[in-house]
Amino acid sequence: MASLELHDIRKAYGDTLVLDGVSLSMEPCEFVAFLGPSGSGKSTLLRIIAGLETPDSGEVLLEGRRIDRLAPGERDVAMVFQHYALYPHMSVRENMSFGLRNARVAKEEIAARVAQAARVLEIEEQLDKKPGQLSGGQRQRVAIGRAIVKQPKLFLLDEPLSNLDAALRLRTRVEIAQLRQRVEAALIMVTHDQAEAMTLADRIVVMNDRRIQQVGPPMEIYARPANAFVARFVGSPAMTLASAVLIPGDGGFARVRLGDGAEVETRVAASGLPAGAPLQLGLRPENVAVTRHDAGTTTAKVELVERLGDRTLVYARLADGLEVTAQDEGDSRIRLGDEIGLRIDGAAAHLFGPDGTGHHAEPLA
Amino acid sequence: MRSRWRRLEGFAFVGPFLLLYVFILIYPLILGIGISFNRADLFGARQWVGTENYARLLADPVFHQSVLNSLKLVLLIVPALTIIALALALALNRPTRTAAVFRGIFFSSSVLSVTIVTLIWRFVLTPDAGLIAKVMQALGRDPIPFLSDPNLTIPALAITTIWWCIGLPMMLFLAGLQQIPGDIYEAASLDKASRWTSFRRITLPSIRRTLILVVMLQTAAQLQLFGQAQLLTAGGPSGTSRPIVLYIYEVAFGRWELGYAAAAAEMLFLIVLAVTLIQYWAVTRREPER
Amino acid sequence: MSAGPRRIGLSTPALVGVIFGAAIMVAPLIWTLLLSFKSNADLMRDSATAFSGPYTLENYGAILQGSQVFRWLLNSAIVSLGTTAGVLILCSLAGYGFARLDFPFRRTLFVFVLLGLAIPEQAVILPRHQLFAELHLHNSYTGLILPGLVAPFGVFFMTQYFRAIPRELDEAALLDGASRFRLFWKVLLPLTIPAQATLGVFTFLGSWNDYWWPLISATRSDRFTLTVGLASSQMNYAQTSGLGFLMAQAVFASIPILIVYIIFQKQIVRAMAGAAVR
Repeated sequence: MASLELHDIRKAYGDTLVLDGVSLSMEPCEFVAFLGPSGSGKSTLLRIIAGLETPDSGEVLLEGRRIDRLAPGERDVAMVFQHYALYPHMSVRENMSFGLRNARVAKEEIAARVAQAARVLEIEEQLDKKPGQLSGGQRQRVAIGRAIVKQPKLFLLDEPLSNLDAALRLRTRVEIAQLRQRVEAALIMVTHDQAEAMTLADRIVVMNDRRIQQVGPPMEIYARPANAFVARFVGSPAMTLASAVLIPGDGGFARVRLGDGAEVETRVAASGLPAGAPLQLGLRPENVAVTRHDAGTTTAKVELVERLGDRTLVYARLADGLEVTAQDEGDSRIRLGDEIGLRIDGAAAHLFGPDGTGHHAEPLA
Repeated sequence: MRSRWRRLEGFAFVGPFLLLYVFILIYPLILGIGISFNRADLFGARQWVGTENYARLLADPVFHQSVLNSLKLVLLIVPALTIIALALALALNRPTRTAAVFRGIFFSSSVLSVTIVTLIWRFVLTPDAGLIAKVMQALGRDPIPFLSDPNLTIPALAITTIWWCIGLPMMLFLAGLQQIPGDIYEAASLDKASRWTSFRRITLPSIRRTLILVVMLQTAAQLQLFGQAQLLTAGGPSGTSRPIVLYIYEVAFGRWELGYAAAAAEMLFLIVLAVTLIQYWAVTRREPER
Repeated sequence: MSAGPRRIGLSTPALVGVIFGAAIMVAPLIWTLLLSFKSNADLMRDSATAFSGPYTLENYGAILQGSQVFRWLLNSAIVSLGTTAGVLILCSLAGYGFARLDFPFRRTLFVFVLLGLAIPEQAVILPRHQLFAELHLHNSYTGLILPGLVAPFGVFFMTQYFRAIPRELDEAALLDGASRFRLFWKVLLPLTIPAQATLGVFTFLGSWNDYWWPLISATRSDRFTLTVGLASSQMNYAQTSGLGFLMAQAVFASIPILIVYIIFQKQIVRAMAGAAVR
């Protein structure tokens, strides 16, 4: 039985449509990330699941039970807020017990759950302190603890890593991964950071423009993006999209010509492509290698070099003005202004139709 | 179904206050307007007389006198109060302990009730046993009949009121002054501005809003002056220090003419409204800053 | 930090002015104090004897020995505390309702309440007197407390304060299964304690010093509040009390309010400035 199901959720504020018929089905104990830019509707969707907003139409079911008409406290759902929303005047212990007291859970049970969660999250020392006396990381663990003790069927995490500095972010990523191991519940995380989604989630729901763009495991989203938006949103630095024209090739695979005349042989089935339509060729930096000026698929002039230590990112411009991102060795000697050759790995290339739909290479046997 | 009840939940929270509000403020307000069109006494008798009360008021020399008295009081009190309060705020706007003590002294009189204040000042002003009289005696001069000379009663009320009310405007000015960033003054002194210039060109414009607020609030408040007049001078002698509110009180509870008093109360309401609006208009007529 | 022209010290004329002003502020108070410590007989001869001994506590003794002043003090305490408690409860509930709950006509009703700020006491006090007479509410604590509970400023103040609390707390509490009331009582209300202190002190002060309404509503001398009782003392001065006794009453009446002032100085200033600026 699915854990969470969304059927055709629609929501508008006045004249502004925010969610346009969103449907989803989650497995039990699955970790799903809602990924998308601001305005995509992902936070609204989360709040609808939590019960903080009501959809104009559509249903929300949790383990088969309709919850979209229930009050937030009756849904068996717990949420960890972006800014934690801890009750400032209550101690950590009281913060964690509040929900259980409202549910009239027995005192001993409450004490036991709080103690256990505190032990697991290593906040036992803080139990009698107020949130104002805690560090940011401790506060986050209290927020997580408050959710854990309720033993909900579904955890909702609202941008948990967004307002953290780099060091804390790493620690928290580990916390969340551990949380996932410890509980028997499904998790939904809202984020705009594709790296977070990629590393933590079982499946990613990519959202944009009020709709779901693609749902799938991280590698599938990465390797076979459903459309140009997903392709550019996931993966950093972003995939290069180059205008391309279909030219006759051999085999059943598409062959395209770029704006500067270079030709690339892909492994995308030509039959699936719309005839005579302008296409875009999608190339990830790792598929574009730097070579000598005369040894590549095409030539380009280097405009920016980013040395990351383990690799070097090269931003170059083709003869027709197109900007391409390429990748080179960590100890590359490339300099600004160099004329370089780019060897394009056509077998890994993607093609996107005029409506943005992605067409991908046939997997090798 | 559930959400409909949820929508009404708010009424449970605002309801109690609203009920009292309507019953104890709005209803009497409307009632008062109604009563002003009646000849009524305190015991319930009513007789509709239309605008007769208002016509009588407009022709009533005693009412005129009381309006004049109120205006005189405002003209004596408000400018002096404003200037003194501003001067004090300027002088005491520093973080030292002594300044804080002085501020406390000047504010402390505002928390006393009108009856305490009039009790204190009666025995400062009264020519037989008062403090001023005793000091004058020690200097070999005659006591000044503050509370019985028709030319002195209004000034006496004004002095008492200024002593009583100096705290609040001073605090408002202090708050306004503290919002002026210090660097402006530093820049001015680098530009060789004298104290007076920097006061005129920087301080005054910056607290313009507070100034207007203080003047408008105090005008409205002093138009409604009551307790001091009733207790210190009883509005006398012969009504020379009777302000409007005391007039209303005497008509209602001295002569039992509730309808007439209600009409006078509505007239006061209109006067206060008119004065406030005129002030507002006069102020916003000038070019708005920024 | 406080801004304004930075000077090392005050210029001499300004300093003189401030000290002179402070002297004027304090002189009447000291005079009253001195008078209260003199016997009425001495003062009848010449009030200037206040400047020299002998001083006596007999006036205060007379007060403590069961003058009506104690009764008045009690009445004031009951009325002011009752009014303060009532205002805090009513305005907190209403403030929460206006700030956080959505109900029909919410905005209109809020404006309706704010308009009450513009209504002066005089326009209402006479008809209210009539109304309360018909309801037999005069000379009672209820009659004195009820008008004080109508505090549009209090509602405005509390509404603004509730609005400033981040909504995330509400949402967390709702997800924690709290009812709207429990959310109000357990989560939000405790966070408004500074506002409660300010509003409470402001209300207490206003109620304690209120003159006109208690004057016409409580006409029996055993129902007077301290403020009204003191006025009646003043008017009866010639016949009954002596000057010393009268001044002792004034001092006695000042003590409670000065204590409140000293303890709650910060709140009072903040409240009065806030009320004026609205």
